[in-house]
Amino acid sequence: MSQTAVKNQQSTKTGSDLDVELRKVFKVFNGETAVRGVDLSIRRGEFFSILGPSGCGKTTLLRLIAGFEEPTAGEVMIRGQSVVNVPPFRRPVNTVFQSYALFSHMNVWDNVAFGLRLKKRGKAEVQDRVKESLKLVKMDTFAKRFPAQLSGGQQQRVALARALVNRPTVLLLDEPLGALDLKLRKEMQVELTNLHLELGVTFIMVTHDQEEALSLSDRIAVMNNGMVEQIGTPEQVYERPITPFVAEFIGDTNLFQGQVETAEPTFVEITTAKGLHITTVTTQDWTGSATPDQVMVSIRPEKIHMSLTADRQENCFVGRLKHVMYMGTHTHCVVELLSGDRIIVMQPSDAALLPDPSTPVYVYWDSVDCLALAA
Amino acid sequence: MSTQVPASDSAAVPGAGRNRPASRWVEPLLLLGPAGLWLVLLLVLPTLIILELSLVPGIKPGGIVNPVLTQFPNYAQIFDPIFVSVIGRSLLFAIGVTLICIVFGFPVAYWIAVMSPKQWRNLLLLGFILPLWTSSLLRSYAWITILRPTGVLNTVLKALRLPELDLLNTGILDFLKFLPNSAGWATPIIDSWVNLSLAVFIGMSYSLLPYMVLILYASLEKLDLRLLEAASDLGASPKQTFWKVTVPQTLPGIAAASLLVFITGLGDFVDPELLGGVSSMTAARLIYNQFLGATQNWGFGSALSMVLIMAVSVAIALLIKYGGDSAEV
Amino acid sequence: MPPTSLSSRSSRHSRRKFLQSSAAAASGLALSSCGWTLASVRSGTSQSRSDQVGIYTWANYADETLIEGFTTQTGIRVLPQDKFPDNETMLARVLTGGGAAYSVISPSDYMVKKMMQSKLLQKLDHSRLNGLDTLLERYRSPDYDPDNRHSIPISWGTTGLIYNPEKLPDGPKDWSYLWDNKEKLSKKMTLLSDVREVMGATLRMLGYSYNSKSPKELEQAYNKLKELKPYVATFTTDTWQDQIVSGDLWLAMGYSIDAFSVISSQPNLKYVIPKSGTSLWTDTMVIPTSSPNISGAYAWLNYLLQPSIAAQYKRLNIASPNQAVLDQLSSDYRESPILFPPEALIKASEGIALVGDFSKVYDDFWTRLTSGS
Repeated sequence: MSQTAVKNQQSTKTGSDLDVELRKVFKVFNGETAVRGVDLSIRRGEFFSILGPSGCGKTTLLRLIAGFEEPTAGEVMIRGQSVVNVPPFRRPVNTVFQSYALFSHMNVWDNVAFGLRLKKRGKAEVQDRVKESLKLVKMDTFAKRFPAQLSGGQQQRVALARALVNRPTVLLLDEPLGALDLKLRKEMQVELTNLHLELGVTFIMVTHDQEEALSLSDRIAVMNNGMVEQIGTPEQVYERPITPFVAEFIGDTNLFQGQVETAEPTFVEITTAKGLHITTVTTQDWTGSATPDQVMVSIRPEKIHMSLTADRQENCFVGRLKHVMYMGTHTHCVVELLSGDRIIVMQPSDAALLPDPSTPVYVYWDSVDCLALAA
Repeated sequence: MSTQVPASDSAAVPGAGRNRPASRWVEPLLLLGPAGLWLVLLLVLPTLIILELSLVPGIKPGGIVNPVLTQFPNYAQIFDPIFVSVIGRSLLFAIGVTLICIVFGFPVAYWIAVMSPKQWRNLLLLGFILPLWTSSLLRSYAWITILRPTGVLNTVLKALRLPELDLLNTGILDFLKFLPNSAGWATPIIDSWVNLSLAVFIGMSYSLLPYMVLILYASLEKLDLRLLEAASDLGASPKQTFWKVTVPQTLPGIAAASLLVFITGLGDFVDPELLGGVSSMTAARLIYNQFLGATQNWGFGSALSMVLIMAVSVAIALLIKYGGDSAEV
Repeated sequence: MPPTSLSSRSSRHSRRKFLQSSAAAASGLALSSCGWTLASVRSGTSQSRSDQVGIYTWANYADETLIEGFTTQTGIRVLPQDKFPDNETMLARVLTGGGAAYSVISPSDYMVKKMMQSKLLQKLDHSRLNGLDTLLERYRSPDYDPDNRHSIPISWGTTGLIYNPEKLPDGPKDWSYLWDNKEKLSKKMTLLSDVREVMGATLRMLGYSYNSKSPKELEQAYNKLKELKPYVATFTTDTWQDQIVSGDLWLAMGYSIDAFSVISSQPNLKYVIPKSGTSLWTDTMVIPTSSPNISGAYAWLNYLLQPSIAAQYKRLNIASPNQAVLDQLSSDYRESPILFPPEALIKASEGIALVGDFSKVYDDFWTRLTSGS
């Protein structure tokens, strides 16, 4: 099934082009709220990631879509149909489990054929589709093996094939690469992208690995404490986080709490607790009645420059170099400002020689490169 | 890169072992010796003695053990239709009880292992094995008090204005009598040895159910519940999940529990003796009678024992062949 | 096969002894060599202690008060008792080594003879026993043990039918009643779980001896029993007692001694000695050769021979073979037709006697009877 075919199919359908919708979904387990009022709309053919720290409710969200859990309140819709009280085996979705959950009493072939046989497909069709599926994940030579005889990566591929062979409307992936080592993970990431492009099926992936989410997804929902903090493209959630949590969780950042001194339509001036004056350019209108008093200022380490001279007035502070961490392609420098704040600066590793700790250094950044976020 | 280091390490290990070849035997001998001696003294030797006795015609206590290897009258006697029916009855009792225990035991074990609150599990299991704390004789007598015509069951049925039952004297095929037009064809079946005593099934199942539940529990407790979710995710209804995943995954446990129940059922002589009425002679009872009961013929008893040992060995062999397959995966 | 012929045959072979201890299992190794004697009893294998005595007897033969009285009187402790349901089970136990713990055993008449022939019994020293002079004439020198050289009779009785006259107003008069009323009695009657009693009663009904040695007669009896079997609830020596009291059973074949105790708790029930005759049995006390405490055994025998003790104790007094005991009984007992049947019936009855090798025929018929459906 090619992507264009999916697109055509989409265009012929009237109404929404949404595959999965969650409306004000709550989930309470024994008095503990795991999901609080989540709204999500996942488009057809999209690679959508749900990102968050462990315990944020992201896996629960996935299980609500798969049908392993029923929402305490709210509605889950697949292709415009409410699936509340529809059991998992009647939902047009398939899941790749974190633990793979392969059937240990069946060989690879039977594992993959499991879903098709339940649907009473003809023998020839089962044969063709299982073969095709195993080829897709490059496991066609392992058909007669049992799961216990496969490596983690191979099991992962079988789990993928077992889900995809059913041609689900939506493929759910629960931390699919979590158990693999770094190298294998990188490989599988590429393969997941390729599969997604090739099949055009909607992928919903749960992960705690922000890098994985950023590199694979069309859009990302960042979750914290049972709520979605932000939904956006990888660029949006990285470059324009709308909450301090998102700014901190995705990538590295320097956060300073401060008071809004001046709020103009184009810029905001902030004084931090320790007396730094920071100016930010903002796209948001801070002048209304909703102007927050306290904000968090976020500056990405790679947006900060270092210099031995004070090149400018705005957003420029003097300090001393405290630590240097060599990271391969780049170097992390920790600078202690006169105010006592510490700030992390990321420099390309091939930059000029670093000053010694006794020499004052200046750090500075453009006002467009820092964000003021309502605390 | 890092894999090369252990490779050179492991190459040194077999070399070290080759220097002391004798040590390879010491540990297995020490570990297996005591149990092996135990098995030889208390299992292999007695079995050989039984085999020897089975070759002596009409041997009784005080008789001369002089095996005859030209004819096998004790074994020939077993092929008498009456004794074939006794063995058949024993097998049917044991198989039937095993099936009953699976049907009643599996849901209970499943519920305790999968669905019951964790903190209750040990208590529930304990409750279930409580009957094992009383003697089997006592349990059988308790069933007599319940099932006899003026017993507890009929008192309850009477209070509920339901028809009374005489389960102590009911065969499993007695219901055929109530089928239309049964007068002719049903009578020979009802009078045959296949019409086994219902009370024996009840008593034996009751005694053996705890073993079934315990072993199935141990097996079901290890069941990966994520596999059940995976099956459901792939489109399997709860029923299909049960048959295609739960049962195959717990098959080694089911096989082990069934074997234990089957063997114990085959050897049980208390329940058939006390609950079975006049037509429940089983191989175990017959053997008991030949050795310690009124009619003493140790040779015939030994031959019967050998046949039972063979039956059990076949059951174990089948388990290893078919149950073992799924166990090794 | 009588043990005498066994021992004569045994002298023709070289053989080893079958020991009762587990170490003897090694003798099973030499399967190829000639025969060995299966299960001959060795004496003195268990530790003997003079302050305790082991007793092997019928169920309900010795109760707690009786045992406590013995300990008070003699200072000898009675070991926890083992009970047997029939003579053959007892013999099997004794022969297979379980007997070495017992100083006193209570076999019945014919079993005394069998054990004597197998040299399992001590010759009794009558000078160490008191109260033998008041034994009834009949029991001074019984057929099974002339002059009571190896056994002391302690009680006697008959085998008969206990029935519920409310359900069976006409009541049985003879064994044939069971066959004539089998439909009515279906699953409401029990027979003894005892080859000689059941076969014997049937033989008697057919007009033969309780101790018939004719295969033809036995086959007739077997066929009769086969006909009756589907209507019998079960073969049992003791479980009928509760069930006939509760009304589950209407009729049971049992021993007079059990009938008496059941009827004393349920006076509606009746006991009948079939008019074609029945078995007369005598239970005895013997001291096995393997007895670990012989003086203790004599003390127990003397204790039960005291008329005042025996008379107190229902199980013994109800059919004592000892005039001194009978003299102490109330007229209720002495006039009980259950305990003391008319002389004519006693005449029509006989004691179960050893039939030697022919017992195999009895056993085969019995095994077939109980094994069928």
